[in-house]
Amino acid sequence: MSHFVDARGLSCPQPVLMTLDEMKKQDKGDIEVLVDTDTSKENVSRAAESQKWQVKNVQEDGKGYRILIGKD
Amino acid sequence: MAFMGFLKQRRAKAPSRKIKQDLGILVFENTSEVIRAESVLKTDGWKVRVMGPPPEIHTGCDLVIEFPLIEELNILRVLKEADVSPLQVVPVTSPLLQPVNLFQARDFGRYLMVRAANMKLTVDKDTQTIVNVSGGGCPDVPYLAQEMVGKSLAEAASPGEIGHTLCGYALQLAYEEMERQCSPS
Repeated sequence: MSHFVDARGLSCPQPVLMTLDEMKKQDKGDIEVLVDTDTSKENVSRAAESQKWQVKNVQEDGKGYRILIGKD
Repeated sequence: MAFMGFLKQRRAKAPSRKIKQDLGILVFENTSEVIRAESVLKTDGWKVRVMGPPPEIHTGCDLVIEFPLIEELNILRVLKEADVSPLQVVPVTSPLLQPVNLFQARDFGRYLMVRAANMKLTVDKDTQTIVNVSGGGCPDVPYLAQEMVGKSLAEAASPGEIGHTLCGYALQLAYEEMERQCSPS
């Protein structure tokens, strides 16, 4: 089951910080992150990979993106 | 009478303890010139600072150089020799002509963000790990982010050395300010 971070409408660096906090809380599993800009999509993906999480999928979702990150 | 004269004389001679060094501002046409001028002046040993322009200055770009006014002639000569002369030289004679701090810091609890001009750098305060680099629109920003995110402040490459654009320069300012804020006092 994915955990969920809704970072739409938030300005940088808050989407990254919310995602990092959720990664720390979960330590492993899947997290779904919603963002609404290209910059946030890039920043969240990069932050996840820097913490050894995998970016499993990035989907366009309305005017933004749904990013699925995961760690085993 | 003589005593009163002595007191007046003594008051007249006593220097004010609040006199600040007179400062001036150099205004350039664009940010590239500011960067070059700063480099030329610092290499030549001058103590200058890059700041945001004061509210009263409407010409030139988003950065100015603050310098000790007493050295105006020498500084202008150095800049002329380097072919990077300012558009304007303005003495700071009123609060409205004070240049503004380039930096904004925002504390998110566990994380600290420093913004310099158009670039933002965010760090985990506990580990001093860089967690985010963003801003600008220059082509080297993704590369800078790739090289710096996930590394500690100490191990990350200096953006001024690996960047190629004005965004790289602004990120270097943010990086230096972040090091200053994160260093033990």
